[in-house]
Amino acid sequence: MTATIPDDTTGPDQSPDDALGATEPPLVVSPAGWAFRVAAMAFLAWLVLLYPSNVLSPFSVPASDANRMSEAVVFAIIGLSLNVLIGYAGQVSLGHQAFVGIGAFTSAYVVTDMTQEVVLGVIVAAIIGGIQALLLGLVSLRLSGLYFALVTLVYGVMAQQSIFAIEAFTGGTAGNDAPRPTGFESDYRYYYFCLIGLLAVLFVDWRLIKTKAGRALLALRENPRVAQTWGINTKSYTLVAFVTAGLFAGLAGGLLAHRDLRVVANPFDFNLALIFVLMTTVGGLRNRLGVVLGSMFFAFLRNGYLIEKLPGAEPVLDFIDLSPEFAPLVIGPVLLLLTLTLLPGGFGQLAKPFTQWLGGGRFRWVPADKEVMITDVRA
Amino acid sequence: MSAPEPIQSDEHTTVLETRDVSIRFGGVQALRDVNLRVDQWEICGIIGPNGAGKTTLFNCITGFYEPTSGRVRFRGQDVTDLEVHQRADLGMGRTFQNVGLVKGSTVGENLKSAQHLEVRYGAFAGMFGSPKTFEVEQHTTERARAILDLIDLGHLWDTRVQGLPYGIQKRLEIAAVLATDPDLLLLDEPGSGLGPEEADALGDFLLQIREDFRLTIVMIDHHVPLVTRVSDYMYCLNFGETLCEGQPNDVRNHPEVVKAYLGEDPDAKPGSAEFAAQGV
Repeated sequence: MTATIPDDTTGPDQSPDDALGATEPPLVVSPAGWAFRVAAMAFLAWLVLLYPSNVLSPFSVPASDANRMSEAVVFAIIGLSLNVLIGYAGQVSLGHQAFVGIGAFTSAYVVTDMTQEVVLGVIVAAIIGGIQALLLGLVSLRLSGLYFALVTLVYGVMAQQSIFAIEAFTGGTAGNDAPRPTGFESDYRYYYFCLIGLLAVLFVDWRLIKTKAGRALLALRENPRVAQTWGINTKSYTLVAFVTAGLFAGLAGGLLAHRDLRVVANPFDFNLALIFVLMTTVGGLRNRLGVVLGSMFFAFLRNGYLIEKLPGAEPVLDFIDLSPEFAPLVIGPVLLLLTLTLLPGGFGQLAKPFTQWLGGGRFRWVPADKEVMITDVRA
Repeated sequence: MSAPEPIQSDEHTTVLETRDVSIRFGGVQALRDVNLRVDQWEICGIIGPNGAGKTTLFNCITGFYEPTSGRVRFRGQDVTDLEVHQRADLGMGRTFQNVGLVKGSTVGENLKSAQHLEVRYGAFAGMFGSPKTFEVEQHTTERARAILDLIDLGHLWDTRVQGLPYGIQKRLEIAAVLATDPDLLLLDEPGSGLGPEEADALGDFLLQIREDFRLTIVMIDHHVPLVTRVSDYMYCLNFGETLCEGQPNDVRNHPEVVKAYLGEDPDAKPGSAEFAAQGV
């Protein structure tokens, strides 16, 4: 074909692929440079895979810390769950603690009351999470933005008051037993069980974005009218996102239950839902690594764990007479403001120079695209 | 993208038909009894002053608005009650006045998203990594690249749409609609912001893609010479009503049309509709 529409080369900003530093020669990494990078990768692999269980490690990690790591991994799954909803579909859920909580109780119920394997319990928890999201979504996804968020908020509170109080299901205020899976009984080993869950979620998230549904979501979040003319059923795909988020959250709930060995309704309150939204946003929407890091960071902040570990924190806390448990709900909003104003890419943007360097590129700051972030949540 | 067949001029299958389409927004009658008929492989032009209801008509045809009364038929089927995405599935493609692309995504992603209907696997099959989806994805990518190469913009694959020059975005938008594999293409001001020579090239391009993709085209544009040149049939709307219709040159020189554009006695300045329509 010969005919083309002519270039509008007189436009304000010409071919941006030239403007964005394409003139710079690609970096040729020396063998020493690669050695450094491989060493860094090996260190990271060691940190993730071996450090928490004291394998090949000069340090001695107490079991309670290994338990913390498991929790952080579960939080990462929850963060990825909300990322599907907020980041990809542009809808906020303020009732995510209910999804996680019901997942936890479901898994405990399947394992304790029905005497099934933990793996099955966790899978059933994920499926129940998906079904819950489907039902709630069918009712409420005719709304969007703020109003949808309101419905999820009400659902969370409702679940807390009603479903969590069904004694046959949750064991009432005493809660229910949630034993560890065979072969993963110790706190150290259970960490790997959670890690497998996170890897599964990362895989699904990766495939989601690389295939039809992910593209449909990104298109409808930013421009629903155009998405519709491309044949994308915006309602159905928002529902798909919601169900996926529900699956992930249910799975996370199941993993959390067996980490704690006992599920009680108390921790699944609205505070937790706020922390979930905070950690996902601060982590960096639509950035898998950022969301994982952000979620883990907030998991470590819980109950003031990270604050206590800071050198010199204790005298200060004593002086102002404050319990370190304030941390997530004070530091969180501050970080949220910083993210929204200065660093739209969140933790993901901070991590970008490192990941680029690891991949054989330069260690360089990557500015985020602010204009794109504005369209995140539709009212 | 099958091999183009010669256009059979004696065959008259109606692709698109609106029957007495009216729409009212509060006290404003935006469209009143608009009857449009577009035959297969025809290029149909719609002109009219600002606020005449041209884009509103497009929104009724594609399903963004539900007409207060009247029916829309597409390839013999009544589509008045169908959703936008269902009409897209039947083969309607459209562009927007303000470029209809996902601007935060790259050019390549846009062209892949636009093939949504061509990608034949379920959302969850893709998410859980069914082996078939990897194969289909590769084909989707190849097709997107082919379409991009067709409009000579292959080098922009990894560039974000945001920040690309307006003219390039306009071209990309048409490419994205072509990627949906439409039978009917509704173009809302494809020539806006183009100079006379560029508009001429756009005209060639439209005639070319009609052959290559075997399209029926309805276009709105203020660039009357462009519409006159490429159209087989032309409508002029004014205040939500069909002012006149017919052969492009007849419509262009119709006294009512000239009057609608200039707002004065056509005898004073014969043939000056073109002058007015270019926005002078």
